[in-house]
Amino acid sequence: MAQKELIKRRTALSANIIGFCRFIRQKGFRIGPIEEVDALKAIEILQPYAAPQDFQLCMKTVLCRSLQQQRKFDELYRQYWTELEKAVDSKVVESEGDGQKSKNSASQQPSFQALKSWLQGNTQAEKEEVATYSAFEAMGQKDFSTFSEDELTEVLQLIQMIARSLAFQFSRRQKKAKRSARLDLRRTLRLNLRRGGEIMDLAFQKPPRNKRKIVLLCDVSKSMDLYSQFLIQFIYAFQNAYRSIETFVFSTSLHRVSQQLKDKDYKEALTELSQSVPDWSGGTRIGESLTTFCKDYASKMLNRNTIVLILSDGWDTGNVDALKTSMKQIHSKAAKVIWLNPLAGNPAFEPSVQGMTAAMPYIDIFASAHNAASLRKIVSHLRKR
Amino acid sequence: MEHSGLAHIKDLLQKQAYVTEPSIVMSIFLAKQLKKPLLIEGPAGVGKTEIAKVMAKALETDLIRLQCYEGLDAPQALYEWNYQHQLLHLKMDEQTDSSLEEKEKNIFSDKFLLKRPLLQAITHHQAPVLLIDEIDRADEEFESFLLELLSDWQISIPEIGTIQATHIPQVIVTSNRVRELSEALRRRCLYLYISYPTFEKEVQIVQQKVPGIDDRLGQQICLFMQELRKTKLDKIPGVAETLDWAQALAALHIDHLDKEIVESTLGIVLKDWQDIRQTQLSLSELFEKVGAISKLDQL
Repeated sequence: MAQKELIKRRTALSANIIGFCRFIRQKGFRIGPIEEVDALKAIEILQPYAAPQDFQLCMKTVLCRSLQQQRKFDELYRQYWTELEKAVDSKVVESEGDGQKSKNSASQQPSFQALKSWLQGNTQAEKEEVATYSAFEAMGQKDFSTFSEDELTEVLQLIQMIARSLAFQFSRRQKKAKRSARLDLRRTLRLNLRRGGEIMDLAFQKPPRNKRKIVLLCDVSKSMDLYSQFLIQFIYAFQNAYRSIETFVFSTSLHRVSQQLKDKDYKEALTELSQSVPDWSGGTRIGESLTTFCKDYASKMLNRNTIVLILSDGWDTGNVDALKTSMKQIHSKAAKVIWLNPLAGNPAFEPSVQGMTAAMPYIDIFASAHNAASLRKIVSHLRKR
Repeated sequence: MEHSGLAHIKDLLQKQAYVTEPSIVMSIFLAKQLKKPLLIEGPAGVGKTEIAKVMAKALETDLIRLQCYEGLDAPQALYEWNYQHQLLHLKMDEQTDSSLEEKEKNIFSDKFLLKRPLLQAITHHQAPVLLIDEIDRADEEFESFLLELLSDWQISIPEIGTIQATHIPQVIVTSNRVRELSEALRRRCLYLYISYPTFEKEVQIVQQKVPGIDDRLGQQICLFMQELRKTKLDKIPGVAETLDWAQALAALHIDHLDKEIVESTLGIVLKDWQDIRQTQLSLSELFEKVGAISKLDQL
């Protein structure tokens, strides 16, 4: 009899664990059958009579896969089990015929209703909740201009990911060559000729880790002021990820700032810079600035190994034709032209159609970069290539 | 009442002078029981690598370590043929009249195989602890290669054939979160995040690892470190730095912190010139906080 009880209880427990797995899956956890099996196994190892906090920790260890998930877990866990207990209680109460009371308490608890309806298989409401749940997700919708320090570090990580995926984007292309060309036969033979052709030493070869070069062209005109924080983070992250990076800033004219940024504390250097560049926060003449770039630097800096990254809102008060010609020139010389527009996501923003449409045909990747969500999109976009 | 398996792990860790937390104990316990790799993330210097070392000691087995770095590829992690040795052998073998097949079989035998950490781990005579350190430094390609190994536990060497794992090693993967790891790898592992220890825990660690230290000095050091971590630094010092510092100060027979001592030994704690300069500038402020709190303690 006692054994029968035990099995029954355990079955109920397993059902609840599966229920919990499905509950947090709805909340954005990636839980598959493997995780469910793990959870059940873990509980079996731990035995059902373990201390409640051990039980919770056990589930947390088995089901969480990242720090973000761990942060969410405890709250979800509490939610599920307290609601479940309530559900069990209310069932007992209802069966005793006191339905009125339990209905009242239920109506006071909207989350209870949600869980109950979810347990009954209605997942609609839950799905809506998912969209607004995570704090990180919410950040995705927020403009950079209103970010706190904490959120900025998260964004900084994203920017670093972009920098890194740009750096190694084309390394896959060399993979085959790397494998097949490991032994350098020519050098091996030559090396061993001096020993009468007896092959003693082997020479190897490996294609150089061909890091991309980056030319960063940053718009620092008045219209971008709101995003200066973002711009600085962006330049900062790229400078960290790349050895060979050339940075220019422009508003009405072009300034090469790579040298000033080297060997200095970065944030300091940028503050200094914003004071020393005469037209920081000035008007925008992208066309003229890019023409200067083409004339003075393009032939030296651009080749098939260089990515040109332009950060600008496209507001142009200058010469559209000049913009078009210089973009064409840059496009033909560089491996890739990427244009990130921090303002594109702002509803109040209307692109200067002329300037942007003139440049558009010569841009390989155009993306808005106004919040974390759009940055994440860029990362996945770059990964695919 | 505490679970016996958990208590056992906790005991083992404590015997190795590792100051532990429930979450660490649970992770190690489950990783061992479910035979799953354990992925440990956290900032530098909080004792991620230490867990593997302690675990190997506690389980009385060997630790095999694979340090990842940018550009690490499969041969460096798995196996290589010892070409020079093979060539020499062929040369010496020239005079004998063994057949070509025999020669071939001979030079592609175990003798000429240089086992790298991963192959070592799966052919070890007992299940070892395999530490794959700082996986985020390796390329994504290497990560996918690792995935294959972690699920199949076999390695195929064209000249020899497939080598099956004799024992499945207990795998510990660590990451400093330089790069986001793939979802696939995460799903194969149990996850553990270790952050900087609380003041109480750090004091315990210092007392465990630097036995001769003055109690008050240990507390002051930890308080100072806790406050220091709150300031904006480029490279936040971990527990390793705390211990270095404690050891250094203990060796100098110092029994309390003062500004001069901190200033002259700051290089042990901070490894970045900018950070040092910044801390030097705000030292009195930091000291006020530490002093105020330690005075409260004495009351």
